[in-house]
Amino acid sequence: MRAKFFLGRLADLAFVLIGVSFLVFLMIRLVPGDAVTIMLGANTEITPERVAELRARLGLDQSLLVQYWLWLTGALQGDLGTSVWTGRAVTEEIGAALWPTLELTFLSLLVGAGLSIPLGAFMAQARGNWTEVGVRVGAIAGLTIPSFWLGIVSILLVSKLLPGTSVLGYVPFTEDPLDNLRRMVLPVFALSLPILANLSRLVRSAMLDAMGQDYVRTARAKGAGRRRVVYKHALRNALIPFITSVGVSMGYLLGGAIVVEQVFAIPGLGRLVLGAISERNYPLVQATILVMTASFVLVNFAVDMLYAVIDPRVRRR
Amino acid sequence: MIIRTTKAALASGTILAMAGMASAQTLDVALNSPPAGLDPHLVTAFNSVLIASPNIYEALTGINADLDITPALAESWEISEDGKTYTFKLREGATFHDGSTFDAEDVAASLRRVLSEKIASPLASRISPITDIEVVDPATIRLTLDAPFAPLLASLATVAIVPAEFEDDPDALQKTPVGTGPFAFAEWQPNGYISLTAFDGYYMDGLPKIGEVRFHFVPESATAQAGFLAGDYDLLPGIDPATSLTLSANPNIEIQDTRDLSYTLIGMNASVAPLDNPEVREAVNMLLDRQSIIDAALFGAGVPAGPLSPALTSWAVDTSEYACYTQDVEGAKAKLALSGVTEPLKIRMIVLPRQDARDIAQVAQQQLAAGGIEVELVNQEIGQFVQDWRNSNFDMFVSANGGAIDPDLYFYRTFYGGGSTNVFKYDNPEIDALLDEGRSVTDMEKRQEIYADLQKRLACQGPVAHIAYGDLMTAVGPKVEGFVINPLGRLNNLSEVTLSE
Amino acid sequence: MMSYFRNNRLLAFATALVVFQVALAVFAPVLGLQDPFAQVIVQRMKGPNALNWLGTDQLGRDVLARIIHGYRTSLLTCLTAVLLALLVGGSIGILAAYYRGWFDRIVMRLMDVIFAFPILLLAIAVIAILGANSFSAALAIAVVYTPIFARLLRGPALVICESEYVEGARAIGASDLRIMVSHVLPNLASIVLVQTSLLLSAAILVEASLSFLGLGAQPPTPSLGLMLSEGRNFLLLAPSPAIFAGLAILFLSFGFNLLGDALRDSLDPRLKAAT
Repeated sequence: MRAKFFLGRLADLAFVLIGVSFLVFLMIRLVPGDAVTIMLGANTEITPERVAELRARLGLDQSLLVQYWLWLTGALQGDLGTSVWTGRAVTEEIGAALWPTLELTFLSLLVGAGLSIPLGAFMAQARGNWTEVGVRVGAIAGLTIPSFWLGIVSILLVSKLLPGTSVLGYVPFTEDPLDNLRRMVLPVFALSLPILANLSRLVRSAMLDAMGQDYVRTARAKGAGRRRVVYKHALRNALIPFITSVGVSMGYLLGGAIVVEQVFAIPGLGRLVLGAISERNYPLVQATILVMTASFVLVNFAVDMLYAVIDPRVRRR
Repeated sequence: MIIRTTKAALASGTILAMAGMASAQTLDVALNSPPAGLDPHLVTAFNSVLIASPNIYEALTGINADLDITPALAESWEISEDGKTYTFKLREGATFHDGSTFDAEDVAASLRRVLSEKIASPLASRISPITDIEVVDPATIRLTLDAPFAPLLASLATVAIVPAEFEDDPDALQKTPVGTGPFAFAEWQPNGYISLTAFDGYYMDGLPKIGEVRFHFVPESATAQAGFLAGDYDLLPGIDPATSLTLSANPNIEIQDTRDLSYTLIGMNASVAPLDNPEVREAVNMLLDRQSIIDAALFGAGVPAGPLSPALTSWAVDTSEYACYTQDVEGAKAKLALSGVTEPLKIRMIVLPRQDARDIAQVAQQQLAAGGIEVELVNQEIGQFVQDWRNSNFDMFVSANGGAIDPDLYFYRTFYGGGSTNVFKYDNPEIDALLDEGRSVTDMEKRQEIYADLQKRLACQGPVAHIAYGDLMTAVGPKVEGFVINPLGRLNNLSEVTLSE
Repeated sequence: MMSYFRNNRLLAFATALVVFQVALAVFAPVLGLQDPFAQVIVQRMKGPNALNWLGTDQLGRDVLARIIHGYRTSLLTCLTAVLLALLVGGSIGILAAYYRGWFDRIVMRLMDVIFAFPILLLAIAVIAILGANSFSAALAIAVVYTPIFARLLRGPALVICESEYVEGARAIGASDLRIMVSHVLPNLASIVLVQTSLLLSAAILVEASLSFLGLGAQPPTPSLGLMLSEGRNFLLLAPSPAIFAGLAILFLSFGFNLLGDALRDSLDPRLKAAT
């Protein structure tokens, strides 16, 4: 039963990846203009023959199906192609862009999820009508605040209040760890706020739920440490929604926080794919989106598997 | 995952530069987007040129800050009586970053590379009159033309010289450029930065003075400004007027400016009604108030544009000589009524995705509405814009073009019937005859006369309503010494820059 | 009991917030605002003042007027998008739940393909193909949300389709369409209402991101995301368009999210514990 469930999910996964690759392939080619148009730009004098020669060099003169077939067979053998104009392997470019995105994802989740437990617990303690409303309004505000706006406003604040502080751009961790972390503060803040808002709300309701349970009252009456019982029960209770939520956030973050990367000048996957789309760098677009969706799908897959371990009932669905 | 060049010679050059003559200081420059490759014969996009020329690559001739042609890799030249033969004496002692010696074979190979159909360089038309390339000796090269071509020296300044071994290679230079310039390519972090290091084999003694130049790619202008104020970046080239206003409040920052050769324009499709009618195009010019467009969209940083930049002092006609440049709404309406077009005129205007172009379009839209011309703005993504532009799929467009130092380099391809960038499909035999004459006559006075005539004919009824020559501005940080802005927008003298502290 | 009233008050507040903003959008032309298109260059990039309560933008247009007209653009775009997605995605979800089997499997896998695609990239691609304007943005958001509605409604629809009274309706020979429309659909009303409100909130943020990237409404149309996008070029010089446009986006998105949240508690108290 478990094996069948696992294999079924795996087959779905393969289907989704192939589907996405075909969709990306078609869509990027439906976008007007190709790499040659973009490279030449407006107001460049060139004969149509030369334009045709440049297109042929990039394989753009072949039919769509042939192009897709060539790409797919290459991809299945591990060759995702080369970036059209710089001629570098796309895997190399993606590899370079992966680190900033991974770092951003990891730190944002760490901050968001890490703070959510004490914050949620605190919110559960502080009861009362107005606190309750305040908590709810605050959490929803945290969820709906546009992260790119937050980014812009924080840039504005930093340059007005702390001029001369280098907090923008990206310095590799290996080059200068401290500088790297300092420049991560603002983007991580912008990205972790909605995660924190969402998770702390989860933790809070699980806590409240736990406090109301009969056996917790009983345990308390027997003299067990209240705090320990509540935490243990609440956290177990909150585990599934918590993991789901972390998984979903992780999936989105791995897809590159496009706008935040743009605003803070971080050379991650989001900017890579955005640049590749505007350059019509087809191989790079295809490979990057494939990597993004693969990580999204894999994270979801992992979350599903985790459920199945935690709660065997899931497998029956 | 840093992409490093594999050339051993280059790497050792880098180490020597760090240890030896040039200091280890780094000049940090912020640009808004990465280049689409660094092959100087393939990529003509602005940021590629800005990074590569003349820092990595040099050409036979150069253009200085006064827009005069200067020697570069050619030390001197002679032009035959009939204007068809050019003999260049080349600089001796120059070497490429890969260690090979520069000589006439490299020049010949580079020119052949540009002309070759296989490489398909978009620069070919700039030197297309060349019919024969002859290596006289390693330090001398002779070019023969099929007809006199006055702008040749200016054109050659845009053709980079690369080692002969790349003649048939369309790929290698894109990622690892090799030239004779003061800086050698070192590494490229996609979307991060491109780093150039001082080339210790540079033929000018004592140059470059700094050890490294890093071009950082910062897409948001506000981010670049904040980083510049924080000292992350030393130089912001080609900033817009709003950025300049923001930064100029800070006393430690120097804003260098010069009259830009590039210009913003409204192009009109001369092949479809109603703009196929020269009278209608003149009415459009009469409805525009260039000064208020400049005030609004460029924050006053610019001058109303005629067909040639006032920076070209020996060519440009003063805009006061164009009658249609005085805003005259009633006159324009009368002209439109007489020309028999049905009002209201509906015009589709595509717009280059740049803030200044968008603002120009929004202001022009209101000005044209006053004369009964209804403009629908279509703001496009760059690929769509270029495609529609190339296919003449527009009534009007707002765009910005780079300038050239010889009028022929701009006019011929733009206004000649069937010219390579005549997307307006403008076709006027009188103009064609003047253009032919202008490029073959070598007498300066005669040429000036011809181009003055052309400017007056094109200004009001031509297919382009020239809008403004902006101020070209570069923000220079407090540490930078010795930087001088160049009207072509290039970073021409980085080798002479030093950093304090 | 206490909680019931508290929630009612919250619901009333959320409704008021949404109604207020929608009303601003609907009645924008008759509110006596300044002309959102009028350019007064000498008044450009001013902070809040007596004449322009929220200041002016880079062409001297009134920020307040542009924000309120911007509500129109945002709401129209997002409502179109979410309703379209509800129509298509909802139908797919119900059909999949009703017929199950191969149809269910294939259609839902296709939904998974779209769902796995990074949201913003999918929208960018759709817009790049159709050309940038509000309608393309609406369509793009609709495409992104279709699989979400399909997945959201399929689950509850499955439960209803298995219920006794649907079986009963089938037994007395009611047509498939009739069962779906008059038995399945009404039972999904509350979840649809809640999710529509929540997704509207998210759609407002997506629309703003798209406009921020220059892919939504186009100048000179007043649009919240576009104001933020244009304003950021002048951020350090004149922050008010960017700041106020961002706040407006926040309020709008917040209102719908709070409404959805409060509705969920009122309509289905059982769900409360899970959130």
